[in-house]
Amino acid sequence: MIEALGSPFMQKAFAAGILVSVLTGVISAFVVLRKMSFIGAGISHAAFGGVAIGFFAGANPLFTAILYSVAVAIGIDFTVRRGRISEDVSIGIFYSLSMAIGIALLSLSRTYNVDLFGYLFGNILAITPEEIVLTLVVSIAVSGFIMAFLKELFLITYNEELARVSGIRVDLLNIVFLVALSVTIVVSIRIVGIIMVSALLVIPGAIARLFARGLRAMIAISCMAGLASVLIGLVVSYEYDMAPGAGIVLTAAVLFFVPLILKKRA
Amino acid sequence: MSIAVAIENLTVRIKDKEVLKNVSFTLEEGLFLGIVGPNAGGKTTLVRAILGLVRPASGSIRVFGRSPEEHLVRDGAFGYLPQHQNIDPGFPASVKDIVLMGRYHAAGLFRWPGKKDMDKALRSLAVMGVEDLKDAQYTHLSGGQQQRVSIARALAGDPRVLILDEPSTGIDVVGQEDFYHLLKGLQKKMNLTILMVSHDIGTVTTYVDEIACLNINLYYHGNPLGALNEKVLTSLYGKNVDLLLHSDVCEKCERLR
Repeated sequence: MIEALGSPFMQKAFAAGILVSVLTGVISAFVVLRKMSFIGAGISHAAFGGVAIGFFAGANPLFTAILYSVAVAIGIDFTVRRGRISEDVSIGIFYSLSMAIGIALLSLSRTYNVDLFGYLFGNILAITPEEIVLTLVVSIAVSGFIMAFLKELFLITYNEELARVSGIRVDLLNIVFLVALSVTIVVSIRIVGIIMVSALLVIPGAIARLFARGLRAMIAISCMAGLASVLIGLVVSYEYDMAPGAGIVLTAAVLFFVPLILKKRA
Repeated sequence: MSIAVAIENLTVRIKDKEVLKNVSFTLEEGLFLGIVGPNAGGKTTLVRAILGLVRPASGSIRVFGRSPEEHLVRDGAFGYLPQHQNIDPGFPASVKDIVLMGRYHAAGLFRWPGKKDMDKALRSLAVMGVEDLKDAQYTHLSGGQQQRVSIARALAGDPRVLILDEPSTGIDVVGQEDFYHLLKGLQKKMNLTILMVSHDIGTVTTYVDEIACLNINLYYHGNPLGALNEKVLTSLYGKNVDLLLHSDVCEKCERLR
């Protein structure tokens, strides 16, 4: 543990990890309550297409992934609201299409030095100081949005129609929430990877739902569960030399199943 | 008395199907209106149109002289109890949290409800006779208790119009009568205009001031006893309806025939 903290790349990983875990913890509470885990998984897989566009165009993959994921999230929302297809079908089409675009672009560019594995499963060695700054900016913006509109989001979560009747602009807030979710997913990819990021969107909130009696308690517990998963997961990955995403998700799963089983018995 | 709700030639289409056709009526402030009719007769669509949640294909709706869209922006005029409340069993809210939701618009943007709002919320719980539940988890309550808490939530916002969509679902018959008595009391005490959707034409007629019988078209609007005749009931529910009323209204309705 102390040895792990000594190395500069682990310090960067911990800094990014703390930011990402708090950020996903806040978002996760709402993802769980609003049953948005599939759209979370869909956007994170779609981000692969955005990463590939970045490599292909020679731009920073995280920036292209942010733009692309936001576009996909709004695209899913738009097609669903047009009403001809259901949300799960829309998500299924968008994310498989995006992954196909990603694979096609990577094949065309023929640059196999691309750290594909790192994007899929996380790579703490690759985190740059600029990306930590980006993660910090995103964390402040997303947490700020959620805290500023906490009661509106709470009422939308409880009942959308009631929210509309009490004068809340539900459609606008839903879109902003989707944008916040997309951006959160992309900045989390460096730590946990595309495949594993959906776990951080679901498990901390699910753990919090087991214990919390109020919304603010749920958000707080969700953040702590995310933080514990990321910190313990990073140390475990370092010790056993595994991809960080795997260590983090395994830790989160233990934190979910142990209280679930103990609670059932009690 | 001023007019609370004025509806003229209202037609609503949902997916190219007419759900309401040429509906017109007015309701004075402070009256209790029961909206009855068969399933898929447009009862819920009518109240959703009044609330501004569905757009009419044609016709006009005015609530205290304003369109539903204006009310959606200005908010606060309506207390609303929706029909389906499929709530997640792990939803993290106490009874107080739920009732405070009724104060959100009054608290305003970027502000969490304060002490004044909490006082108001607790008074609404007291009016509904459930203040002792204030610290309970909302999802742990029975259907009838949740219903009362939800109405307390709707009342906490000081609405001028209370709209209830099938509020008696999940409450036993004795509970229902208490519940209607309670609504009647609220109407008088707070000068509330109440619109209540119900499939139970028999019981409702005892408590409401006016009744609207809806089956895509509006077949009857007026004194509740006038609705209990064969012509109106046949338009609503089809022929061969046996009317079984278990209340004193039955005698009056025999007399009406």
